[in-house]
Amino acid sequence: MVIFDLMRLMGTLADGASGEITVGSAAEREVAEKWCARSGNTVVQADLDEAGAGTLTVRRGRPPDPVQVLGPSRMPGARLWMYTNFHCNLACDYCCVASSPQTPRRELGAARIARLAAEAADWGVQEIFLTGGEPFLLADIGTIVGSCAELLPTTVLTNGMVFKGRGLRELESIPRDGVALQISLDSATPEPHDAHRGEGSWAKAVAGIQLAVGLGFRVRVAATIAAPAPGVLSAFHRFLDDLGIATDDQVVRPIAHEGVASAGVVLTRASLVPEITVTDEGVYWHPVAATDDNALVTNRLEPLTPALDEISEAFAQQWARAAGAAELFPCA
Amino acid sequence: MSEELTVGAVAYTPNVVPIWEEIRAYFNESGDPGAAMDFVLYSNYGRLVSALLAGHVDIAWNTNLAYVRAVMQTDDHCVALAQRDTDVGFTTVFVARTGSGLTGAEAIAGKRLALGSADSAHAAILPLHYLAQAGVPASDIQIIRFDTDIGKHGDTGRSELDAVEAVLAGDADVAAIGSTTWEAMGRDELMPGALEEVWRTDGYCHCMFTALDTLPPERYQPWLDKLLAMDWENPEHRRILELEGLRRWVSPHLDGYKPLFAAVEEQGIDPRW
Repeated sequence: MVIFDLMRLMGTLADGASGEITVGSAAEREVAEKWCARSGNTVVQADLDEAGAGTLTVRRGRPPDPVQVLGPSRMPGARLWMYTNFHCNLACDYCCVASSPQTPRRELGAARIARLAAEAADWGVQEIFLTGGEPFLLADIGTIVGSCAELLPTTVLTNGMVFKGRGLRELESIPRDGVALQISLDSATPEPHDAHRGEGSWAKAVAGIQLAVGLGFRVRVAATIAAPAPGVLSAFHRFLDDLGIATDDQVVRPIAHEGVASAGVVLTRASLVPEITVTDEGVYWHPVAATDDNALVTNRLEPLTPALDEISEAFAQQWARAAGAAELFPCA
Repeated sequence: MSEELTVGAVAYTPNVVPIWEEIRAYFNESGDPGAAMDFVLYSNYGRLVSALLAGHVDIAWNTNLAYVRAVMQTDDHCVALAQRDTDVGFTTVFVARTGSGLTGAEAIAGKRLALGSADSAHAAILPLHYLAQAGVPASDIQIIRFDTDIGKHGDTGRSELDAVEAVLAGDADVAAIGSTTWEAMGRDELMPGALEEVWRTDGYCHCMFTALDTLPPERYQPWLDKLLAMDWENPEHRRILELEGLRRWVSPHLDGYKPLFAAVEEQGIDPRW
């Protein structure tokens, strides 16, 4: 009897693990589905023939709620990334989109960014991230940030090195409320940072951080570190504390194997929780793969709503599959 | 800071591990070091009770038989701390194939009765006790035993499934199973036309957190207070409560163990194993 098979199977499984039972008919499958629904377990896959006989894969417990696991701020569609441009004053050796001074100019444009931000806010996006390239190389970056920040909390990613002349004037024009600057700094001393980003870049970035903090901006420092030696991280956090960076705004992340990075964490669409990303060429699954054709969702930028819907639905399906496939323990 | 309490339990299914991981996290997350705990899992209840008596664990998460054996082995020097709301009013259900025509305890006399493991209070010991109380002694029944999860005191439910399958196969007339197993099967809602209830016992108590009376109250009281403070309306607490099969922890209902003490004495069940 299928109910007894299910009860015996559950006795062999920990919460979240899956196993298989066989069913001989569509009626047995229906009973299995009802029993699982009643007992708080989940049928995650059915491999059945035309007569309804075959194998059911059953998970002990309910699928984990992605909102609980990821947090509401990391759910797909909560964030919208926009690549304002791809050219940069630096040529970092691990840049995930291979930006450099030689990169051809590709820009979304202030007007389109404003339209996308408005559509995203209407759809339910809660936060905007502007990145590049180096956004502060754009003459109208102040206007761009302002148009986003009047709709949603906005973070601008920058290397902090071009806050002078026109760049400084643009920075000063940006509202402080609802805006955070995320500045890249990889170490508490110049050498590790400069090794990846170029001689003298660390000192300029630190000066940029101090300038932005002095102007009243919320500054988040993001470090890209492959394998920190003992003590490196704690020294780095002490250094950031001294610069006045809040603990929650000190972000350390691994190197992604994308763009010009020759080594790092291999990220695939299946392993990435999507963070919807717009470039001038299309909508992508995640900002670390914004030049990767495998991560391209659509070339159509506007309207943005279909892509937001598609990625959210794809993630829901991917989450359900992952929840079912995890820890599969076939039972004899 | 006081030393954390060690709580012992039996690993009757792999799911026991994540359950106790979450319970431990609940006790250790707060700023109350007096409630801090770790857990140790044993393969069977004999080992768990021995560990309690030897002082290897401070508190044992006992079945009703393990609680009774702990009391008997210590000459009543045990302290009952708390149990699940679902441990109060537990019953044994006697089921037969639909259309058997059997109704009431007396109908079981002379029939083939399938019982679960011999150390299962709800599927073997108490069924015979209650039947005898109802005027049907064991000598009037043909008993078929399924000792398929000995040591686990029936926690796995495996021996009860074996007993029910014997009824469905026509190898037994009636099976005695715990009310939670009957509910878990879906009763006649999911198995229409398969099984029907013949009789059920009065309510009795099942599991119990047990300590020795040598454990000072100031050592266990913060832990006990925090246990009783779990709230069904709190989603994080509810997840633990659902996994362990209750809505709230309650203070001991010691009257609910009197039938088992009596049954153990009547049936000459070993106070140790």
